[in-house]
Amino acid sequence: MKKSNPRKMHHRFVVLSLLAGIAFIFTACSPAPPSDASSTQLVSKDNNKKKITICLIPKKKGLPYFTSCAKGAEEAAMELGNVELIYDGPTDGSPEKQASMIEQYTLKGVDVIAVSPNDPNVVAPALRKARARGIHVLSWDADAIQDSRDYFVNQATAEAIAHGMVNTMVKDLGGPETRADVAIVTAYLTAANQNVWIEHMKTHIDQQYPNLNLVAIKPSDEDQKLAFKVTQDLMKAYPDIKGFFGISSVSFPGAAEAVKQAGKTGQVMVTGLATPNSMRSYVEGGTVKSVVLWNTAELGYLTIKVGEALATGKLKQGDTSFDAGKLGKKKIAGDQVLLGDILVFTKENIHQYDF
Amino acid sequence: MKAIFLRTLSLPETFLSCLIITLFALISQLDPSFLQWEVQRSLSSHIWELAIIAIPMTLIILTAGIDLSVGSIMSLSAITAGMLFQAGSSMPLACGAALLTGTLGGFLNGFFIARMRVHPLIITLATMATYRGIAEGISQAKPVSGFPAGFTRLGQDEWLNLPFAAWVFFIIFVSVFWVIHRRALGLHVYAIGNNDTASRFSGIHVDRILIGLYTFSGFASALAALLFVARRNTAKADVGMGIELGVITAVVIGGVSIFGGRGTLVGTCLGLLLIHETREFVSWHWNRDEFILIVLGLLLIVSVVFQKLLRHKQNSS
Repeated sequence: MKKSNPRKMHHRFVVLSLLAGIAFIFTACSPAPPSDASSTQLVSKDNNKKKITICLIPKKKGLPYFTSCAKGAEEAAMELGNVELIYDGPTDGSPEKQASMIEQYTLKGVDVIAVSPNDPNVVAPALRKARARGIHVLSWDADAIQDSRDYFVNQATAEAIAHGMVNTMVKDLGGPETRADVAIVTAYLTAANQNVWIEHMKTHIDQQYPNLNLVAIKPSDEDQKLAFKVTQDLMKAYPDIKGFFGISSVSFPGAAEAVKQAGKTGQVMVTGLATPNSMRSYVEGGTVKSVVLWNTAELGYLTIKVGEALATGKLKQGDTSFDAGKLGKKKIAGDQVLLGDILVFTKENIHQYDF
Repeated sequence: MKAIFLRTLSLPETFLSCLIITLFALISQLDPSFLQWEVQRSLSSHIWELAIIAIPMTLIILTAGIDLSVGSIMSLSAITAGMLFQAGSSMPLACGAALLTGTLGGFLNGFFIARMRVHPLIITLATMATYRGIAEGISQAKPVSGFPAGFTRLGQDEWLNLPFAAWVFFIIFVSVFWVIHRRALGLHVYAIGNNDTASRFSGIHVDRILIGLYTFSGFASALAALLFVARRNTAKADVGMGIELGVITAVVIGGVSIFGGRGTLVGTCLGLLLIHETREFVSWHWNRDEFILIVLGLLLIVSVVFQKLLRHKQNSS
């Protein structure tokens, strides 16, 4: 009995101090809002236009690719003047974190959320909730599930990417008259994006470049070592082969390394899809003449422009084109705004890009 | 009276309460909109799964053990439910199988620790890798989605103004609290943590209790996994990745000694509250994901060092 008494006192003390704390919190809460309200009034007096808050959420914060997109987004926000840009994303690239962030921004009541989903399924419930609250939702860089967003700001159509790769290959080989055997090193044989590109590449070659002869399509299973080996094998199987397409960011450097180590720099062309930083040494060494991608800064710029237009009602459903400031008129296909053009990095311009 | 006052003052729970009050006072000055009930309630959905796992973790750490495999058990359970559902099984069956898988995973941990006398750190480190590997292997790292609405409602609907997962947590918390404070088992858990060998000699069924605790941990992880899958409508092998760090951080900030025998469930709850509010507020106010890690790290250092100082003072006085 004697022992249990002081224990109970402890408990009572803890409970009391907790209650006191809670009481303190509630009293501390009430006087604060007015000061906050007056500060927001000051802001709105400064510029008559209503501020539009746009959150730009990348797949992963800190990746050079996304940082370069954010630069373009900042430029657009500065130019527009009425946009407050928040650029934040998970530092670990976790889809769950992304969903949590979307939920937070929804509660905060921002105007536009633009997200490049790590996993469309995971973020879909959060995005639908945001839309139900009247927030405009965009996907950019990678698409979300269709009913969970208003528009997808698409960096390049499959057709533009495929044609871009074939055209640069033909140029690197010396023009449409050159007869050449070429091969594709892809990601997985089941990879959806890659398969669409391959179809477009085939039809483009058939229609435009009869001298180009596609001899093989091999998977690299998103493994750089396997891409290296597959390219080596292809060079043995087709000694006259003149060009390789590495159509994923993993198969491209793998194929380039194989050509470089075989001592065929300059005789066998390699082109494909990757970021300039990952291919820089091959471009400067001469193994790769051109790297195909899109302009990431323009992608960020366009996303913010579309977000602002959506929030102010300038962009309406059914519009078929969009005036994107310094980028000129951009096409809208259904619920996709197309950035459209690809960007080719060569020895001459690659030093301007760092991502 | 003065002695009681001083002792209460040096309790980790008191210190944590002060820290939490300071935090709320700070928030009410910086950004009072964060304290709206609506916001708090919605954001609370981010913590319940972690909180559910923190209950068995507290008990395990009280016995001077640790369970690093909780995140991997979550992943394995989520994948079990997902794959079964995809194969056409009914949702209740898939959930049952997932709970069974998690429980079994926890039981294996306990079996190795109690019967084979492998150190908990080592065996759960091993099963952390193994369970995650199995989950990745059988799912081929592909996500399963499109669960029936009746199931996803468990994760998204609210019940009496709080997420369903909150009620799951409260039920488990109250039952465990009752067992620990009103049954002999509670004393035994503390005894094992204080002195394993002495407990064995005093006739406490140490092995049985340890196996029970790790099995409970596996079950709770599976439960958390199902709530998570329901909330995000996706089962994937990376479910629960890194959650063990969050759980252990909450328990340790809550004043539970990593050497066992010292700490309370209330402390863990305060630790959870502190971590949750800090994490959500930092990203709410500064929109910087990288800040969260820094702030949480600092918080852990401050609270551990402070508690150590207090304990030192308490022992010397």
